[in-house]
Formats: sequence, C-alpha cells, structure tokens
Amino acid sequence: MVSKTATQPPQRNIIRRWLAADTLSGIKRQRAILGYLFLLPTIIGLVVFIVGPMIGSLALSLYKWNVFRPPEFIGLDNFERLFSDARILVGYRNTAILVVMTVSLLEVLAFTLAMLVHKISNRFLSTFFRTAYFLPVLLSGAATAVTLGYLFHYDFGVINYYLGMIGIEKIKWLISSDVVLIAIALTTVWRNLGFTFIIYLGGIASLPTEVLEAAEVDGARGLQRITRIILPLLSPTILFASVTDIIKMLQFFDEPFIMTRGGPGDSSRTVVMMMYESGFGNLEFGYASAIALSLFIVILGVTGVQFYLSKRWVFYR
Amino acid sequence: MTDKISRRDLLKMIGVSAVAAGVAAAPLVKVFARPAGQDAVTLRFQENADDYAAVVAAFNELFPNVTIEFVNVTGVDHAEIASKILAQLAAGTPVNIGYAATEATQLYAGEGLAMSLTERALADSAEMADYFADVSPTLIEGMMYEGDLYQLPRDFNAAHIYFNKSLLEEAGIEVPGEEWTKDDFLAIAQATTGIGPDSDSFGYGWTNRLWGSWTPWFFVNNTNLLTEERAPGGEAIWSTFYADQPLAEGRGGGWRWPAPQANNPDMVEALEFVVGLTDAGLTPQVEIGGGDRLQGFFVSNKLAMTIAGGFWAGSLNNAGMEPGSFEVQYFPAWKSQRHQFGTGGAWILNGGGGEDAAWEFLKFNSRVETMLMIPWMANASTTPVRRSMNTAEYWGQTGMENWHVFYDALDQRPDTAPIPAPVFSIEMTNIYTRFTSLATSGEMTPQAALDGMQAELEALYARN
Repeated sequence: MVSKTATQPPQRNIIRRWLAADTLSGIKRQRAILGYLFLLPTIIGLVVFIVGPMIGSLALSLYKWNVFRPPEFIGLDNFERLFSDARILVGYRNTAILVVMTVSLLEVLAFTLAMLVHKISNRFLSTFFRTAYFLPVLLSGAATAVTLGYLFHYDFGVINYYLGMIGIEKIKWLISSDVVLIAIALTTVWRNLGFTFIIYLGGIASLPTEVLEAAEVDGARGLQRITRIILPLLSPTILFASVTDIIKMLQFFDEPFIMTRGGPGDSSRTVVMMMYESGFGNLEFGYASAIALSLFIVILGVTGVQFYLSKRWVFYR
Repeated sequence: MTDKISRRDLLKMIGVSAVAAGVAAAPLVKVFARPAGQDAVTLRFQENADDYAAVVAAFNELFPNVTIEFVNVTGVDHAEIASKILAQLAAGTPVNIGYAATEATQLYAGEGLAMSLTERALADSAEMADYFADVSPTLIEGMMYEGDLYQLPRDFNAAHIYFNKSLLEEAGIEVPGEEWTKDDFLAIAQATTGIGPDSDSFGYGWTNRLWGSWTPWFFVNNTNLLTEERAPGGEAIWSTFYADQPLAEGRGGGWRWPAPQANNPDMVEALEFVVGLTDAGLTPQVEIGGGDRLQGFFVSNKLAMTIAGGFWAGSLNNAGMEPGSFEVQYFPAWKSQRHQFGTGGAWILNGGGGEDAAWEFLKFNSRVETMLMIPWMANASTTPVRRSMNTAEYWGQTGMENWHVFYDALDQRPDTAPIPAPVFSIEMTNIYTRFTSLATSGEMTPQAALDGMQAELEALYARN
C-alpha cells in the first residue's frame, strides 16, 4: 500500500513540516502566521483605502488629466505651477489663520467647560451639560453652516439684530474679508467643541486623585493648581486633542464652502476648497493631486513638529 | 448493502434533478420570456426617485426590459451639479442619462461625454415633429454644440422680475407694464425700501451666480461677459422641424463664445449700477448662493423685487405665499430689453451602453403627458419648454396675471439668448462670482474687479 503523503509533491511536504514543526521556532512561526492572519483584513483595508489612493494620487500629480481624455504625463509641471500659484498661498494663509483661531479656541473652551462640568456633582445636570455640548457634533456640517449662515446674515441675521440692540454697528460677517474668517471659525468651533470637550472630560476624570489631594494638602489652589498640577498631568490629553484638531482643521472645507463659497474673492478659500475646485470644477485632477500632496506634506510636517516639541512639555505618568 | 450514499452518487442525483427541473420549467420560461429583441437594460438616471416614479412606471409599461436606477444629484447651482456628475465619472460610475442645464451643455458635448442626438431625432422625425413644433427654436439652439443637438430641453427659465404685491401696494405702486425701463425699476426699488411690517424691506435683491445674478443687467445693457457668435451647422434640424418658422431663421449650430470682454465699458456700467443699488441701501448685501435666502425674505415681505424665472412661482406658493400675492414682468429695458435664459434637458452618455433604450426614454420624457407626471412640473415650479403647456390653467394656480411673459421672452423677444457657458463654464463661473463678490462687498471698484476678471478669463482661454 502506498501512503498518501508519499504521493504529495516534496516541496509541499517541506513547507508543511516547516510550519508544523514541533519545535520552539516552529511554534513561534505558527503564532506569527496566526498574528498576520488576524492583521490581514486591516492591512488589506489600509492598502486599498489609504496607501493605494495615496500612491495613486502621487502618480496622478505627474499627469494632466481631465477625466474625459487619457492622462498625459507632464512630469513635475503641476508642482512648478503649484509653487508659482499665488492663489494657493492665499489658500494656505486662510487655512493657517483658521487653524490657529479654531484650535486655540477649541482647546481653551473645551478645557474650561470640561473642568466646570467635572465639578458638577448633580448627576442629572452633569449628564445634561455633557449631552448639550456634544449634540452639535452629531449635526451635519452642511446643516450647521446653512443655519449659521442665516444667523450671520448682514441685513437680516439675528446676530447683527442683537448687536444693534446693544448699540453695536452691524458687522459684515460673511461679506468682508476682515471678519469672514472669524465667522467661519466661530461656526466651526461651535460644531466641534463637543468632541474636544469629551476628550478633556475623559482626561480630567482619569487624573490621579492622590496627586491632586497631595497638591491640595501642600496648598495648591485655584490657578496655581490648574497651571502647576492639572495641566502637566493632562499634557498627553492636550497633545492628543491638539494633534487631532489641527489635522482636522487643516482640512477645512464644509463651513467656508457652504457659507461663503470662499468669498469675498478668495478671502475665505481654504486649500482643500482649492483642491476640490481644481479637480471637480476645473477638471485638473493632476493639479488637484499636487495640491493634495502638498497638504499631506504640510500636515505630516506640522504633526511631526508637534510630536517633536511634545518631548519638552508632555508628561507621561 | 449499505445505506450510505457516496459523494459521487450524491452529485449524480443533484445533476439529474437539475435537468429534470429545467425540463419541467420550460413552459414557464416561455411565459416569462421578454419580447424578441428586447434585452434587459439597466440605465442609471440622474433624477430624484420620488419625482420620477410615475414616469418610470409608465415607461416600464411600454419597455418592461428597461430598469431605471435613480442617481439623485443636488447642488446650489447647475455648475455644482455638473461638478458632482464629473466626480461620478472620475469614480467610474457615470450616469447613462443625465440632466444638464445650459451651464454644462457644452462641457458635456465638447468633452464627448454626451452623445449627439441629431441623427436619432432626424431618424424619428415623424415621432418627434410634435415635440419640436411645440418648443421654441431658441431653446433647441441653446442645446446645440458645433452643429449637433445634444439634449432635448425639458424646462427653461428666462430672467424676469418678480414683485411682492403687498409691498408695492403699501408703496402705492402698480406692477409696471411690459415696456418699463431701468429708471422705472430704480424708482420702484426706492419706493419699496424701508417699508413692510418691520420697516426694513429692500427694494431689490439678487444672488451672486451665473444665471440671474447681475447677468440680466449686462444683457439689457446690450453686452455680454464673452463675445458671441453662432457655430455653423444644424441645418438638418432647422429644415426638418422648423422649416416655416420665422423664429428659426438665422439660427446656427449652437452658440460660441470666442473671447472674454468682462471689462468693456458697458459691462463696467452694468456692474456699477448693481453695486450702486447696494451702496444706496436698496439691495441687501449680495451673497453667493442659490437664492433660497432671497425666497425667505420675499415670502416674509422683506423684499419687493428680485430676479427669477418661472421656477419661482410654484416655490413661492409652496413657501406659503397666497396665489395672486406676487406678480412677474419682463426684465426692464436699458439699452435693449434682451433677456438671458438657461434651459435644461436630458443627455445620453456616449458609449455607456443602452443608448437605444436611453433614447426611447428621452422621447417618452418629451411628451406633454409625461412632463405632467412630474409633481414639480405639474405645480408650476419651472417653465415647461412645451409652449402648449404654458396656459392660463397651468399658471393660474400661481395667481399671476402676466404669466405669458415666461414664454413670450422667447416668442416675442427673438434676441433672447442663453447665459454664456462655454466648455470651461464651471471655471469661468468661479472667476465670475469671485470677482463679482469683490465688487459687491466694496473691496474692489467695479472697474478693478472686472479688470481682474478679464485677466483671469484671458488666462483661462489661453489654457483651453
């Protein structure tokens, strides 16, 4: 009688023996393979939805492509144009101003509100405030922008109406390049505050009580307690919140697109809006990819700097 | 003997059973078979399922083999809708039948996305004669590009002036006659500003975009953003369907806009006029958008006059205005009374498959009874391209007396022309609204804004 194993190809036998070897290294191999199998869905997702499109975008930035005609290889022309395009600089300037305004407001307000809500001992009130601050996060950016667009209207907006009642002149919120970014930043902060607030609330709730009590025994009170004890302990949370907020805000789109269409002129046009308009408005997908790549590098750089600087001020317990 | 069945025996039994079931079902297959020559076709159609459910159901009674899948695309204006259609194309999921307004007609035709309908219309001339006889040649010419027809117009809107009758009555003013002028307009705007329930009304409002906007003002000032000429061709369409119509004389194969002229003196004069209205407090601050806010202000008696087409009538009724509480008139005369319009219709994807079925669907949609199946067309929320639908009964539901000006803008004003929309109209519109906003916000003088606009338009033309 001929054994079954004798009929299988020798190569397959070697692999099977290598995998099933009852040795320490064999067991390690089996565990490693099992680990990779579990990781496989994530790796596939990462490659298909993130790495693949990134490589595709990089390749596309070297082409001139308008969807209708076959792509034409133009080397680095799109990047040359990018560096000489004055409007892109305006887009970056607007984005930078919006990031500074929104992120600083978000961090300060979210921390302050989280501290206040954390102090509320009444369970009902605590839940009420948490829910109230988080609710705008659940709203769509478009709906928020449309509604606040009405509120900020120069002639008929509620905000100017109440400003008028207290003797302040009407402000050209959405039609003056001097204030349009402020209106957009306020809208964005209102919508996103809840998310940052929840992060800070979680961070504050997990602060070590023994350290806080020791500080209190040592006489740390009020502002001193916040700046010397709470903020250093909360520094990993601040880093996380600021990194995620900056990345999100560097990709500003919804609010300026709906509230002002980037106007007046280009005064509220962001980089992502320019990328969208280049691609889907002007049908310059290669140039849009070059803009996307430049933004990716900027986000990478800013995040890298944040992490580098964090070594000096973030305290990990 | 054993009770066990081997795997091979099991497979044999399954195979025999399948053959037997197939033979038994043969008569049934005959019952459910499609008519000869009608293969199953699925078409992706750019429309709202609720609006077109009845149309598709009626179409499927004639063509049960055609499945229509709805792809709803919305946007604040037609340029934005075109952007989204192109995004779908880039993603490899284009629609088979799209709906495009003038803003995108030449873009789709010029880039080969839309299929020419000329040959099909001529081949079905007997069937299509009724449609063309009922549709103004001005609209047909607006859907042509370089000698060929690319869309069958469904609805259109010329720019007219709507009046809030409540504010006019409060100011003691009658709705003006057809020959009214820019000076009459100014007088009405002044008289209707600062009145109303809260004494905060504005005489006139407009929104910054291509259609409507201040575009009608430079049309009546006898100029245009771009120079105009007619493309050659189109003779087959004119001779087949419009042989005896004086309105079709001199028509060509569609419009061409060969060069920008944004900063010519008449353009500057027109922009200075509308910016002056804002400076004088007769117009609220101008914003970029689709006009929804203006509608809210108009309905709440804060706006006496605005630019709109037939589409506004039904919308105002839906927004709560009583029939008869608003009226419409031609755009006022300045150096001329030339009107601008935009029209829209379905197009077929070139090379997307199912073109024959798509053409049948387009023809079906061009019928009057089909158009009336669309709820918003039935309730006067647009101007139907079919002249016979523009009746006292149709517009009577809005309570307007001057409803005839909608179609008369085509029939009685033969110089009426489409908004300028070359192949690169989306980018052109972006430049147009961007510099307009700089002028209306007071950050640039009209002359400086139009000089900037001209420079960017020249660069755009050079790139294309």
